[in-house]
Amino acid sequence: MTSTRLRGRPLVRTSYAQDMSLLNTPAKRRSTILIIIVSFLVPFIVTDDLLLVLTLGMISAVGAIGLNLVTGYAGQVSLGHAFFIGLGAYTGAVLGGDTDASVTGYGLPIYIWLPAAGVVAALAGLLVGPIAVRLRGLYLAIVTLGLVFLGDHIFRESRSLTGGPGVGRRGPDLVIFGIDLEESGVVLGLDLAREQRQFFMALVFLIIFAVLGRNIARSGVGRAFSAIRDRDVAAAVIGVDLTKYKVMAFAMSSFFAGVTGALYYAVVGVFEPSAFGLLLSVQYLAMVLIGGVATISGAIMGALFISSLGRISGEIAHVLPFISESSSGSGLLSVFQLEAILYGVLIVVFLIFEPRGLFGIWTRVRNYWKGWPFSY
Amino acid sequence: MTDQKSLPQRIRAHAAEKPDGIAMREKNLGLWEPVTWADYWDSSSLVAHALLSLGVEVGDRIAVHSENRREWLFCDIGITAVRAATVGLYPTNPAAEVLHVLADSGSRLIVVEDQEQLDKTLEVIDELPTLEHLVYLEPRGIVGRYDDPRLMSWEDFIELGRQHRSAHPDALDARLDAGRTDDLATLVYTSGTTGPPKGAMLTMGNVEFVLETLQSGEAFINPPASEKDVIVSYLPLCHVAERVFTTWFNAGLGVQVTFAESIETVQQNLREIQPTILFGVPRIWEKIAAGVQIRMSGASRLKRANFALWMKVSRWIGRTLVERHGQHTLGTKVAYAAGWVMLYRALRERLGLSKVRYAASGAAPISPEVLEFFMGIGLPMFEVYGMTENSAIATANVRGRVRVGTVGEVQPGTELRIDESGEILTRHAGTFAGYWNNPEATAAAIDADGWLHTGDVGEWIDGTHVKITDRLKDIIITAGGKNISPSEIENSLKASPFIKEAIVIGDRRSYLTALIGIELDTVGEWAQQRKLSFTTYRDLSRKAEVVELVQGIVDSTNSRLAAVSTIKAFRMLPKELDHEQGELTATQKVKRSAITAQFSDDIESMYTKAGR
Repeated sequence: MTSTRLRGRPLVRTSYAQDMSLLNTPAKRRSTILIIIVSFLVPFIVTDDLLLVLTLGMISAVGAIGLNLVTGYAGQVSLGHAFFIGLGAYTGAVLGGDTDASVTGYGLPIYIWLPAAGVVAALAGLLVGPIAVRLRGLYLAIVTLGLVFLGDHIFRESRSLTGGPGVGRRGPDLVIFGIDLEESGVVLGLDLAREQRQFFMALVFLIIFAVLGRNIARSGVGRAFSAIRDRDVAAAVIGVDLTKYKVMAFAMSSFFAGVTGALYYAVVGVFEPSAFGLLLSVQYLAMVLIGGVATISGAIMGALFISSLGRISGEIAHVLPFISESSSGSGLLSVFQLEAILYGVLIVVFLIFEPRGLFGIWTRVRNYWKGWPFSY
Repeated sequence: MTDQKSLPQRIRAHAAEKPDGIAMREKNLGLWEPVTWADYWDSSSLVAHALLSLGVEVGDRIAVHSENRREWLFCDIGITAVRAATVGLYPTNPAAEVLHVLADSGSRLIVVEDQEQLDKTLEVIDELPTLEHLVYLEPRGIVGRYDDPRLMSWEDFIELGRQHRSAHPDALDARLDAGRTDDLATLVYTSGTTGPPKGAMLTMGNVEFVLETLQSGEAFINPPASEKDVIVSYLPLCHVAERVFTTWFNAGLGVQVTFAESIETVQQNLREIQPTILFGVPRIWEKIAAGVQIRMSGASRLKRANFALWMKVSRWIGRTLVERHGQHTLGTKVAYAAGWVMLYRALRERLGLSKVRYAASGAAPISPEVLEFFMGIGLPMFEVYGMTENSAIATANVRGRVRVGTVGEVQPGTELRIDESGEILTRHAGTFAGYWNNPEATAAAIDADGWLHTGDVGEWIDGTHVKITDRLKDIIITAGGKNISPSEIENSLKASPFIKEAIVIGDRRSYLTALIGIELDTVGEWAQQRKLSFTTYRDLSRKAEVVELVQGIVDSTNSRLAAVSTIKAFRMLPKELDHEQGELTATQKVKRSAITAQFSDDIESMYTKAGR
C-alpha cells in the first residue's frame, strides 16, 4: 500500500497539503472540469456580438482578480486600479503597436509586449506600495484616487504615446503563434471567426491568471494578506512583514491590471486617454464587490456581470418604450443613463443585501444543498 | 507452539505479512496519522520488553487507565505478549473505584493517560502496596511537578524496552511462544449495578475462541469483516464489547481501527471516517436519533416537510422490514430508492453512516422504535447479545432473519438454553474462567456442567430467536403478585427523544411509578422554541410545561401497556445522573439501589398521596 489515504472518504485528511490543495473536494474537481469544458464550447453556441461582450468580460476578470488580491485579500482599498490598467494599455500599445502610425509604436510580438505591460504596471505598483504601509482605509483610498488624476493628466499630455484626448490610438496587434486574432479563418482545422479566436485567447489567459491568483491566495503570501486585512497590528505581531506584503500586494495586483489593460484595448482597437478615469476604477471595485470580496471565482462572476451590463440595459431598452436606444433620442432615459443607474443601484443593493456578492449567493445555494437534509 | 493463534502472535504475523499495511489511525493536529502493522508490532514489543525489564512475570496484572488511543492497544498486546493480564479502567472511574480495581486486581504497574487519571491513582496510592510503577502518556502538567519515584514517562518506559530488546532480543519471543490457552489475558471489571465491580477473568483461550468465531464468517457479519473494513473506536476499551470490535476485530480480521478524538466528537469523527462497521450501545443510537430530531426542528420549512414525508415512508419501510425479518419487498425497494435520493443518502452521510454495512447494538436493551428508525433509513442494523462472562458471544441477529425485539439467534459454536426460572444459560469455549479473587461469585455464575448463568431472563420466539425480558434481579413483583419487567417500560419511555432516564419502581408496591430524567438538549431546544426561559437542568425539569410534556409521553406509553404495568405517577429527577456520584455505572447503567435510596422521599410521596 503506497497511499495512506482512506479511499472514498474525502474528509479524512492525512496531510495538510490535501487541505490546502487547489481543488480540495471531489465536488470542486468535478464542477471545475465541467465549467472549463462548457466554456470551450460557448463560442460554438453563442452569437458573435455576445461573444465579444464575454471576451471583454473575461479580460476584465483578470484585472478584477488583481484588484481582489490587493483589496479583497489584503484589505487595502485601491481606487488607483484605472491608472495601472492605463499604464499596461499604453505599454502594450507602444511596444506592440504599428510602426508606421503617427504615434510611437515598435511592432514587437505579444510575448514581449504583454509581459512588459504587466511588469511596467507592477513597477508602478512597487512605487505606490510604500504609501500603503503608512496609510490605511479611507486615507489610502484618497491617495490612490490621486494616482488616477495624476495618470489622467500624464496620459492626456503624452500625445506622442497616447494620441491625446479625442484622438486616441490603436492597441497592439493580436498575433499569437502566427495566428492573427483579428482575422477569420481556419485554425487547427476549425473555421473560426475573429470573435471566436479572441474568445479562446481570453479564456486561456483567464484560466492562467485565475490559477495564478488562486495559488497566490492559498499560499503563505495569501495567508499573510488575509492576516493584514483582518488586523494589521496583529499580523505584524505574529511576524508578518507589513511593508513587504503590502508592497507585494500592490505589485501583484498591478501586474494583473497591466496585463488586462494591454489585452483589453488590443481587442477593443482604438482607445483614448479619458478611458482611464475614476469611473474605470469604480467599475473594477464594483466587479469585486458584486462578485464577492476575497474570492477568485467571485471576481470572475463580477467582471462578467458588470461587463454585460451595457448589453443588459440595451435589452431592457428594447422592452421598455420610454428608454431610447441612443443618447440623443427622445424618451425619458437613454441606454447609457440606464446603464449608469443600474450600475449604481446594483452596488447599493449588493452592499446592503448581499455584502458577500454573487459568490455569497452561490455559497448560500451551495450550503443549502450541502446541509441537506438539515439546515446546519 | 507452532500455530500463531494468540492475540500478540496474530499481530506479529500481520506485521510480518504486510508491514506497510495500515492497522489503525489516530487524529493528531487535524491529520489522521496511520499506524502500520510493523509500527503496531514494534511498539507493542517495546512495551513487552519494557515489562520484561521491570520484572513482570507470567500472570501478573497490569492496569491501563486511558481513553481509546493507539497506546492502549500497544499496551494490551505488549502485556498479553509477556503473558500478563490487562486490567482496563474506565476513564470516568472516580478515585474510589480506581482504588477498588487496582487493589482487587493487585496490579503491579499502571499506564495512565494524563494528569487527571494520574491524580486519581496518586490519591489512593498509599493503599496500593502492590503497585510498583506508574507510566504516563501525556507529560503535560506532570513533568517537573510530581516527584513520586514510581513515576515514569512513556518515552522512558519505551526506552527501557529498547535497551532490553537490544540486550535480550529473543526474550520476548521465548516468553510469547511458551504461552498457554489458560493464561489469563485480561480482567474485565463488570460495571457493578448492585455491588462493587467484579473482575471477570478472560483467558487467552477465551480470546482465541472469539477470534475464531469472528473469522468463521457465520457470527455477526456476513460476509466476514476484512482489511477493507473500517471501525471507529470510541466506547471504553475496558468494556468487553469495544474490546471485541476494536482490538479483536483488528487482530483477528485485520479491520482498520480509527480512534475517535473523544466521546464528544464521535459524531464529527463518524462523519469523517464513514466506517463500514459500527457498534453502539443503545444510548449512542438513541442520541444519534434524538440529534436528528433536534437538528431537523431547526431546519427550514421545506426541509422539514421533506424530512417528514420520507420519514413516514421510512417508518413504513421499517415496519415492513420488521415484519419480514429484514427482507425487502419490491414496494419497499422502490420507495427506498426514491427516499435514498431525497433523504436517506444525505442523512446517512451526515450521520457518518453512509458506508456502514453492519451496525450493531448491544450491551443493553434498545427500544424497537430506535431500531426501526435506523432500519427505515436503510442501515443494516442488528441487535446482538453477549456479556463479559461469555466473552460477548451468545446470540446475534443475522442478515435476512432479523427479529426486532429479540437479540437474535444463537451464535455458531454456542450452546444456549433457558432454564425453568426463565434464566438464560450459555456454554462454549469462551465462558470465562471465573471472577478474580471471588470463588463464591464464580460458583454462582458457572455451574458444575460449565453452564454460565447469565442473570438475564428470556424466552424463545419461534424456537430460533431469543428475547430478553430483563435482568433477573430487576424483575418487579408487585404487591398483587404480578411479575413485571421494568426495562421494557423504561425503554419504551426512553424511546422519546425528550427522555434520557426512566426508572420504574414498584417492587412489592400496589402500582408502578417512575422517576424520569429529561434530555437537556432536546427539552432545552423544545423550551426555547416555546420561549420558555430556564436556567438550570433542575429549573427546566420543574417547569409545569415540561412536566406536562412528560405526562403526555407517559400517557402514550401507558396506552400501549397492560393495565397492571401502567405508570400511575412519576416524579422528575432534579439532576442529571452521574458516574462520579455513584448514580450510574461506568457504562451509564443506572444503579437502582443508589437511586431509590437517594430519591426515597420522592418515591414515597408517589405512594402516599392517593394515586398521584
